[in-house]
Amino acid sequence: MKPGSSGLPVWLVQRVAAVYMLLFLPFIVWSLTVRPMHSHSEWRDWVTNPAMTVALCFFILALLSHMWVGLRDVLLDYAKPPVVARVSVMLLGFALLLLGGWVLEILVKARL
Amino acid sequence: MQDYEIELVAGDTMLLDVLLRLKRQDNTLTLRKSCREGVCGSDAMNINGRNGLACITRVMSLKEPVVLRPLPSFPIIRDLVVDMTNFFKQYHSINPVLENHDVPREKERLQSPAEREKLNGAYECILCACCSSQCPSYWWNPDKFVGPAGLLQAYRFIVDSRDQATEARLENLSGAYRLFRCRTIMNCAEVCPKGLEPSHAIEKIRLKMLGVQSGAKEPDVYRRVPASDTGLP
Repeated sequence: MKPGSSGLPVWLVQRVAAVYMLLFLPFIVWSLTVRPMHSHSEWRDWVTNPAMTVALCFFILALLSHMWVGLRDVLLDYAKPPVVARVSVMLLGFALLLLGGWVLEILVKARL
Repeated sequence: MQDYEIELVAGDTMLLDVLLRLKRQDNTLTLRKSCREGVCGSDAMNINGRNGLACITRVMSLKEPVVLRPLPSFPIIRDLVVDMTNFFKQYHSINPVLENHDVPREKERLQSPAEREKLNGAYECILCACCSSQCPSYWWNPDKFVGPAGLLQAYRFIVDSRDQATEARLENLSGAYRLFRCRTIMNCAEVCPKGLEPSHAIEKIRLKMLGVQSGAKEPDVYRRVPASDTGLP
């Protein structure tokens, strides 16, 4: 694929992320219903389970990727002129990276 | 906007009949028309908020007052006549020509009935622009998004067994804007006067890009047959 051919990979990322979230969210709801958490230590035990940590990381990655593609599409369609769209997409990417970093920080600190 | 009052007379079956009588009343009213039977696409316009062809829109099916506008988002030349330059530019950008570089045979390049059937639902497009003009994604980026009509024609050549430029055609549509502005809004399929489904063709192109072959026995692109073509009342 030639440089700048970002249509298909981006479209695919959004759909794969959507499928993952579609499977993960009911699992989370079921998990919290079956074993509700009443304290920080219970939450920490749940989140620091290695499998859950990995699954949550993937979920956050899927969520942020899905958000990025969706909001990028809105900006590419509606933000004019094109330079405003490009700058807005870059700022959006930066903001989502910060969010992702924040979530990672929470997960790392929970393990410490 | 200008208001007109006109009484229907015997013979006013289609909207175009009324418009031509209106033109005799006010000869400054400007519109395109040609075949008067729904095959040339000249008289595409916005009729009570929905794009269609005036020559095959029955007058009795229209709610009054009938509001006519030129095709949305296209530059207006005059009254109901719009500038189709960008629309045709997008059409030509998909290379709507059969690319086959084999030595020409003495007879035609053969296709099996199944291969020929794949063109059904794509070749019938009359390039009236009802679909592209009703597509919000085309409104926002008419210079970059090919639009439903162009993409349907791209599909027509991609799926043609005689064409040898499939890879190049898919590469041509691979950017962020060319095809992937399509949000599957499906206004295109809703307003197509020939009953075609550009949104379905666009989905098929995406699957082709992914390398997924459709193995179903049904025709590749569904075609809703307008009731007038079935002989049913």
